[in-house]
Amino acid sequence: MIGDRPLALVLVEMILLVLVGPLVTGTIQKMKARLQCRRGAAVLQPYRDLAKLFRKGTVQADTTSGFFWSIPILVLAATVAAGALVPVIRAGPPAFPLGDAVMLLGLLALARFLTAVGALDAGGAFGGMGASREMTIAPLVEPVLMMVVFSTAVAAGTTELGALAAHRGTSWFLAWRAADFLGFAAMLVLLPAETGRIPVDNPDTHLELTMLHEGMLLEHSGPGLGCMALASHTRQIVTLSLVSALFFPIGPAGGASGLVLGAGAFAVKILVLATFLALVESSYAKLRLFRVPQYLGVGFVCALTALALRIL
Amino acid sequence: MSPLSPDAVHTVIDDLGALLLFTMILIVAAGQIYRAIYSVAAQSLLISIAAAVLATSTGNPDLWVIAGITLAVKAILLPWVLHRVVQRMNVRREVEPVIPIAATLALAVAIVVVSFQLSASLGPVRQAITGNALPVGIALTLTGVLVMATRKTALTQMVGLFASENGIFFTAMAVTQGMPLIIEIGVILDVILAALVMTIMVLRVRSTVDADIADLDRLRG
Repeated sequence: MIGDRPLALVLVEMILLVLVGPLVTGTIQKMKARLQCRRGAAVLQPYRDLAKLFRKGTVQADTTSGFFWSIPILVLAATVAAGALVPVIRAGPPAFPLGDAVMLLGLLALARFLTAVGALDAGGAFGGMGASREMTIAPLVEPVLMMVVFSTAVAAGTTELGALAAHRGTSWFLAWRAADFLGFAAMLVLLPAETGRIPVDNPDTHLELTMLHEGMLLEHSGPGLGCMALASHTRQIVTLSLVSALFFPIGPAGGASGLVLGAGAFAVKILVLATFLALVESSYAKLRLFRVPQYLGVGFVCALTALALRIL
Repeated sequence: MSPLSPDAVHTVIDDLGALLLFTMILIVAAGQIYRAIYSVAAQSLLISIAAAVLATSTGNPDLWVIAGITLAVKAILLPWVLHRVVQRMNVRREVEPVIPIAATLALAVAIVVVSFQLSASLGPVRQAITGNALPVGIALTLTGVLVMATRKTALTQMVGLFASENGIFFTAMAVTQGMPLIIEIGVILDVILAALVMTIMVLRVRSTVDADIADLDRLRG
């Protein structure tokens, strides 16, 4: 099979995702600050934080096992590997065997699992609490994400994201069928949960009552914490590119102009989704933990209805 | 000859059906009365768009009248009345469900799946009908009834009634390509009358005895 995405392109896309990830976080934080009438930190602040963290030394709790230090590296590796599976600037099947959407969700779930294991390993109360909450939310988010992916995959007849995106083609909005509207609605409901933002999680605070993801990072320090932070930036941009690959892909275009066009379209799509996240974060309050299942239930029902519209 | 091809009409009606289901999910999931009211207004707006699309495709002028009346009455007037009543009554803004909202959502899923199954079992009748309009319409109607059954306050039950009525309307429109005008107007008048009576009842009951529907189960002989 001759694919549209050679190995070099996939690697470039993966590195691009990792490099741009912190920028997206910075942009969202900047937009939030402007919406709250603050000046806010510069857009590049996440890069500075990462650079600072990687220069620092590591401190570990006495109670940690030998496995603990490798957790940040494994989490980062799983997330970056997931980044290789989404088409970024060009749709179409890859030229060599590569995983599909199920693999991508599996890698993200693996990263999440390892993060929780690391938090429990250190034996701190906050880490355990964060891990238990994250593991309460995760089984509500992941199946729904799976169903959204399947509801589009049924139409394309493949779960390979590049081929899926190519199947939808460039005239994405006009080609939307009934199920896509519901799938997209489910995706919008899930997006804050999957990227760890308000109304489900609050990325800005270390207050014990509100945090999920941040609670699990408390025991990490120095380069390890840097890896975890980079992993969560990457996870966010991977999720956003998954949405754009499923719902507004850019078709396979040849030549350098096609690549430039794809990159520009990618920037616009990510910017739009980031604006959506910033708006949601600024206009909603964080939900109580026990209200989260009801919120995610809306996404579940939407995704299931989308599947029903496709299959039945 | 109609300006739209039958395929395009099918697609548009299907898409509108999906959006209608989405607004229905929002109504079921709404924790606050205002959100439910806005969702039902959006749903009625979608219904009137569907009527306008069918009117252009079939060239049936009655459907234009229906679209206009739906827009004016169900998308603007009735939500406005409900909004005023909520403001005037100073009631609690949360809807008070009989069973948890998550359970209602699960029931809504079951209803959607069942109505798709039911209409698939209709066989030849199903083939004759535009796309997914029939199962979507049945699902909307039943979910509206579900909302009516699982809410304690009269106002949210009215939202359920409107949603259910929207479902009936959508089914009737898509299945028959436009019912006789007199029937449609009769249905709409029914709804207006029901809304007025219920509004007045709610206001009166509240101002005289300060009770709500949920309190009536203590009223035993």
